[in-house]
Amino acid sequence: MGFILKIAWRNLFRHRGQSLVIGTILFLGALLMTIGNGVITGMDRGLRNTVVNGFTGDLIIIPDKQEGDNVFLQMMGRAVQPLYGFHAVDSVLKGAPSVERWLPMGKNMAMVLNEDDGMPSFIYLLGVDFERYARMFPGALALKEGRLPRPGKPGLMLPMGARKEIHDHNNAWYVPAAGSGASADARVPVDVHDVPVWPGRAAVASSGAGGSPVPAKADSVPKDASVKSSMVMLGFNQDNSTTDIRLEVDGIFRYRALNTIFGNFALVDIESYRQCLGYFQASERTQGKISGRDSALFTLGEESLDAQFGADAPLVPGASAAPKAVTSAIPGAGSPVGPAAIPAETASASPAVDLDQGAYNLVVVLLKPGADAARAQADLNARFKTAKLGMRAVGWKDSLGPVGSMATLIKGALFLFVSFLFVVAVIIIINTLTMAALERTPELGMMRAIGARKGFVSLMFLTETALLTLCFGGLGILAGAAVVEAVSWFKITSDNDVLQLFFGGDTFRPALSAGDYLLALTQLALVALAAVIYPLRMARRVTPLDAVYKE
Amino acid sequence: MNGVNIIEIRGVTKDYTLGKVKVPALRGIDLDIVKGDLVTIMGPSGSGKTTLLNIIGCIDLPTLGNVKVSGRELTLLNDREITNLRLHHLGFIFQTFNLIPVLTSVENVEFPLLLQKSLSRKEIRKRAESLLDEVGLAQYGHHRPAELSGGQRQRVAIARALVTHPDIVLADEPTANLDSATGASILELMKAMNAKEQTTFVFSTHDKNVLKYAKTVVQIVDGRIVAGA
Repeated sequence: MGFILKIAWRNLFRHRGQSLVIGTILFLGALLMTIGNGVITGMDRGLRNTVVNGFTGDLIIIPDKQEGDNVFLQMMGRAVQPLYGFHAVDSVLKGAPSVERWLPMGKNMAMVLNEDDGMPSFIYLLGVDFERYARMFPGALALKEGRLPRPGKPGLMLPMGARKEIHDHNNAWYVPAAGSGASADARVPVDVHDVPVWPGRAAVASSGAGGSPVPAKADSVPKDASVKSSMVMLGFNQDNSTTDIRLEVDGIFRYRALNTIFGNFALVDIESYRQCLGYFQASERTQGKISGRDSALFTLGEESLDAQFGADAPLVPGASAAPKAVTSAIPGAGSPVGPAAIPAETASASPAVDLDQGAYNLVVVLLKPGADAARAQADLNARFKTAKLGMRAVGWKDSLGPVGSMATLIKGALFLFVSFLFVVAVIIIINTLTMAALERTPELGMMRAIGARKGFVSLMFLTETALLTLCFGGLGILAGAAVVEAVSWFKITSDNDVLQLFFGGDTFRPALSAGDYLLALTQLALVALAAVIYPLRMARRVTPLDAVYKE
Repeated sequence: MNGVNIIEIRGVTKDYTLGKVKVPALRGIDLDIVKGDLVTIMGPSGSGKTTLLNIIGCIDLPTLGNVKVSGRELTLLNDREITNLRLHHLGFIFQTFNLIPVLTSVENVEFPLLLQKSLSRKEIRKRAESLLDEVGLAQYGHHRPAELSGGQRQRVAIARALVTHPDIVLADEPTANLDSATGASILELMKAMNAKEQTTFVFSTHDKNVLKYAKTVVQIVDGRIVAGA
């Protein structure tokens, strides 16, 4: 083997021109391949960071009877089924070894009523306990105006995207309510990184506010807009009725990444959300206002939810509607919806209320670092089945529907691009190596004449290609790693959502893992192997007679 | 010459096809060569001497007939066995020297022994250096072919052909690319090696000046042996 290596190494220098051509192709191929891998990994990590750690979690627990897995971005805002008995789900999650933390939330669509008699618009609502949301997704939001909601109080956080959307529909421009720091005159630049997360209850109690208010910029209010500081939302209930609630706007925020997509999701305190959607509220249970039959809906784990709760059965019996604000049947009959009919402040959760006693729609789950998502999903589904909870865990990409698929599509496109480079590289290398084999026919024939077997010729050719691949391809990988590192260091940012999807967030941070290096080496080896097969066959076909007649 | 036949050729014909035309190169050759002989195959250009040499050297196969080299019937061997026969029993000297350009003289001589894998690296180097010394190139061991003259390259080729102690050394017009003095010295060297090692030498030539070095002369014209068989 030693002397084959010697011959191969010296041959590379002897045929410098060919070596340089093949080497350059291998170098460029490895460079682009490594950068491509870096972009894909960076995108994966970025998506995980922005989407998984900022919006969906790794897994989403939803009721089994929910049609389809896309619960966040369904077309036309198809309703997400209510999830009762969170305590039982909570127990299962506590027992799952790969789960790190989780957050129950409500998610559905509501109509934003226009108090100026114009067209209504729509908004997605995420009903959450704000404190728990902040702990679940720290740093996911950037407060632009107003303040964060007070824990345990009704509150609405409106995303900038939704505000603009609503304004485009009905000219209403929402600003944080008085007392939340909004100021038309203030022109204080907003450093979103300085906005604190929600303080604990103790801090709120002493300050009476959810952190320092961020003033609004006067020039951010569109000309002639109808400025409002509270929003009237109409929720569609399961019993074909509607409920209106009015909520003061606490703050205007933007999602740190993919704001145009996620920017339609407003955050509402969970009790107000339940009230809007006609769900059981935790305060109703605490105050004993739910009948024994309805109360059984929350006692999960003892028997199947489906068995108690058939698909056609009413989810919210009419009898339980007493504490709701205004209820009207669809379509249109009943009390007209207007400011006078809507209470100034809807239900507020008292600190003694156990919020988890009310209904949710889903639970977002973050896994421990390094946990295998597919395995964790299977494990959770097995646990839910055993506990007969009528729940299922779905992956974050499935829960986002087209957005999750788009990320996969971009990854696929990058993979295709890298594969295309492979094919081009392979063709050029095949051509060059074949020429080299033809040029060396007398030499190879002579070797065969004096006793070299075909295996020796193969080994010599493979060694030469391997040396070229290792030297030039290795350099290409190192150069690619340097480019990836340099690009990542520049922290290129974009507000464009397509680019953000490509970046996996608002910042372009390509990255390489140990697996990527291994992948690059494997890809390089495959390229070299694919490229050497045909020239190798040519070289193996050289006979001693070719040495004599090609002299 | 009496002795053991190292090469036996019976009724060998060889045809080449050029398009639709069949061109006969050998037309029924019968030839015996005994061990230790120094045979010159003489003939004009196109007479078939190189074809005959290629068949003896297991580089080409006959269209018809039988060839036995070192006791093995060539037509019954597969590619691997033929390669082994060339490696262990035959040595080659080509008209254009055909050394491996990236190896030094001593490495070129070592090459067949490295393929054989029967000796240690140390023994291989020792034998190669000894052979180079015998062909008068002891001080050129670390020169590459490009740094040697034609005569020196052919001496390296002779050393390479002899390093495995083959039964037969085949040389196709070994002096064709050399001046007459250098050619003469190469033939002297081959004669000396033949005498010393009792290695059978078979070489082809169309130069009548080389006849004085041969023990046996085989004359071939139009694919037929006309004298010396």
